[in-house]
Amino acid sequence: MIAEHFRFAGLLALAVAAFALVPQMVGDYAIGVALNLLMWIALTQSWVVLSAMTGYVSLGHAVFFGAGAYVMVLCFGSLPFWLSVIVAGAATGLLALIVGYPCLRVRGPYFVILTFGLAELVKFAVINIEAGLGQFGRLLFGGPGLAQIFYVVLVLAAVSVAVTWFVRRSRFGRGLRAIRENEEAAETLGIDVARFKVLAFALSAIVPGMVGASMVLRTTYFEPLDLFNPITSFTIVSIAIIGGGDDVPGPIYGAFFLVLLQELLWANWPEVYMILLGSLLVAFVLSVPDGIHGRIAAWRRARR
Amino acid sequence: MTLLELRGVERRFGGVVAVDAMDMTVEEGEILGLMGANGAGKTTLFALIAGNLRPSAGEIRFRGRRIDGLRPDRVNRLGIARAFQIVRPFAGLSVLENVTVGSLFGTGRERAIRRAEERAMEVLEEVGLAARAADPAGTLTLAGRKRLEIARALATRPRLLLLDEVMAGLTPVEVSEALEMLQALRQRHDLTIIVIEHVMRALMRLCGRLAVLHHGVKIAEGTPGEIAADPRVIEAYLGRARE
Repeated sequence: MIAEHFRFAGLLALAVAAFALVPQMVGDYAIGVALNLLMWIALTQSWVVLSAMTGYVSLGHAVFFGAGAYVMVLCFGSLPFWLSVIVAGAATGLLALIVGYPCLRVRGPYFVILTFGLAELVKFAVINIEAGLGQFGRLLFGGPGLAQIFYVVLVLAAVSVAVTWFVRRSRFGRGLRAIRENEEAAETLGIDVARFKVLAFALSAIVPGMVGASMVLRTTYFEPLDLFNPITSFTIVSIAIIGGGDDVPGPIYGAFFLVLLQELLWANWPEVYMILLGSLLVAFVLSVPDGIHGRIAAWRRARR
Repeated sequence: MTLLELRGVERRFGGVVAVDAMDMTVEEGEILGLMGANGAGKTTLFALIAGNLRPSAGEIRFRGRRIDGLRPDRVNRLGIARAFQIVRPFAGLSVLENVTVGSLFGTGRERAIRRAEERAMEVLEEVGLAARAADPAGTLTLAGRKRLEIARALATRPRLLLLDEVMAGLTPVEVSEALEMLQALRQRHDLTIIVIEHVMRALMRLCGRLAVLHHGVKIAEGTPGEIAADPRVIEAYLGRARE
């Protein structure tokens, strides 16, 4: 177990170091692609802690991304960049704690729809608040540059990977996975299921809030329809399904696969890019239902 | 010493009374058998004791403390473990992981994963599943899953174990193995056990005392010999003799 932790820490440090070199090595376009990759890794790792481990599938993680971005907008100019990012994470974690208790009382498809509805609700609430304040889209000038945002998101991705790793191997994570497999049995074995689920929900909301807060500065423009875009939630779930499993490798495989495929298709066939992407995703899910991670694990077992 | 005490416990589902005015005491160290036809209220009674259901009326005391209305995880931590009739394995987890959940939480609440796994392994050896530790729980046979259900409950380190038809569907050889196993477990862990069982011979051999439920009411209680001769029991099971 200890050796496994050391191996993980070594690999993570190596990966962070490699990514840290990116802004020095390549142009803005490639930095943007790498930033995208890190963003999806951070978001999907966070989602895994809740949804892959407990089986409560959230289709509303865009709410934390958007809420974090909105916190950044409100703090912009009055707090330093890094402090605003931390405030955003605290705020979205708190938001999850508050809404988690009522939401996590329903299971299965009901929970999926509820999280989706919650994200839409918060989106329109923010739109109305902004309208009430007389704001229609806000410009955020004078924020940090691309490289600086890149480094912050790199740290967030590393943190999210470490969180998934440790939760997966902890007593807490064992409890979460027991809840996924059979909630009534888990409860009867002494697991405080309500508390565990709410904690997992809060834990899975913090990093997405911080990522949202960072990424809004990249566009230098705050538009609720973009930052609370349900596509963000759908993409997280797609990456998790493509990657597979309830552990660290899944989201990483999935994010690489989706982001690089997107770039490739967009660069070569911009007119039919979405059609191609959609068809490929359908084909992939049908032929590899347990994801890349599941497929690799099965292949390793067979070789032994 | 009285471990568990039920007074006037009642549970209604709409207009149906599943358990009615139930009084029952369980002494420390005994094995109490619950008999009764399907729908007699046996499993409902277990759900009430374990906290999966709340009583509509009445009191349940465990070691003198009221436990009715407590959540199942609280009840379990106080020392009551329930093995379900319809087995509920964590099918996607390995056999060892299943039992480790019991030792990590429950009454024992071992905090370190390594120690919890060691304890889970000991329990698996006791129930004869050690060789299957690494297999997914979903691959076990029914007899194996019943054993897993017992192992998981046992790993929580209970004082009182509720076993709901853990011998149903087993072959006669498997039943006698299971009986030996339960006797050994009780001795080693100082357990008090309540068993629900349809296998009559098993109940007669295992239990010092039997209680018979019929339509949610306890109609008889006593030693296996007394129960077998009780006219109310015979009537409930076989019907009244015609004049």
